[in-house]
Amino acid sequence: MTATEDWRRDERRQLRQLELAAIVEGTTLLLLVGIAMPLKYVTGSADAVHIMGPGHGLAFVAYCWVAVQSVAGGGWTRSEAMRLFLGALLPFGGLFNLAFLSRKAARLR
Amino acid sequence: MNLAEVYPWLKALHIAAALVFVSGVLAVAIFLRSLPKDNPRLAAHVRSIRRWDRLVTTPAMLLVWRLGLTLALTGHWFAAGWLQVKLVLVIILSGLHGVQSGRLRRVGGGTRVQPSYVIVLIVGCSVGIAVLAIVKPWG
Repeated sequence: MTATEDWRRDERRQLRQLELAAIVEGTTLLLLVGIAMPLKYVTGSADAVHIMGPGHGLAFVAYCWVAVQSVAGGGWTRSEAMRLFLGALLPFGGLFNLAFLSRKAARLR
Repeated sequence: MNLAEVYPWLKALHIAAALVFVSGVLAVAIFLRSLPKDNPRLAAHVRSIRRWDRLVTTPAMLLVWRLGLTLALTGHWFAAGWLQVKLVLVIILSGLHGVQSGRLRRVGGGTRVQPSYVIVLIVGCSVGIAVLAIVKPWG
């Protein structure tokens, strides 16, 4: 395998990790806002919030970390990097970036 | 086994994970600072360092976060000033790890990277974290 093929394989793996992190971050937020919080207000039980809250916090940190790692590896324009980090800050922003990440991965094939 | 009995074990595991994490980040910083020019074995070195980073340093970082958050929640420490400052230092260290990990990938791909001076920052954050965790200033 040549160095360029190695690099392309690494970049594709990195983008897959970013996609996975975005899906987990978006899903945990959906579970927190869509199930755990309504349950708290309907039943008065905060157990689900106590489980999903830290879970989503960790997923958010993991997404930010993988985003930093991806951008530091190079190959990202300033606007692409901005889009990635806005995805971390806006609710469900990571999920909105999935199509963009797939297009970027496709260019490496 | 109740929470009071488990707490020291969680704390010991948290410290062990932190030691492994910081030593990994520092080792990569030193490696990137002293990258040999035109070394034919550089690609092999980068591969083994990246493997260590992926299999040891990154899981240690995740363990530090998971155990740290558990300890803070069980000990009700989140309102304490020392923990808030410590969290900022941990975020800086984790961010530096992410940046270095990306730079290692770039070096592995054959791109040259500019040497940076993060070693002082890593040592400074580590000393700050140790002092804050032991002395616990600001409540």
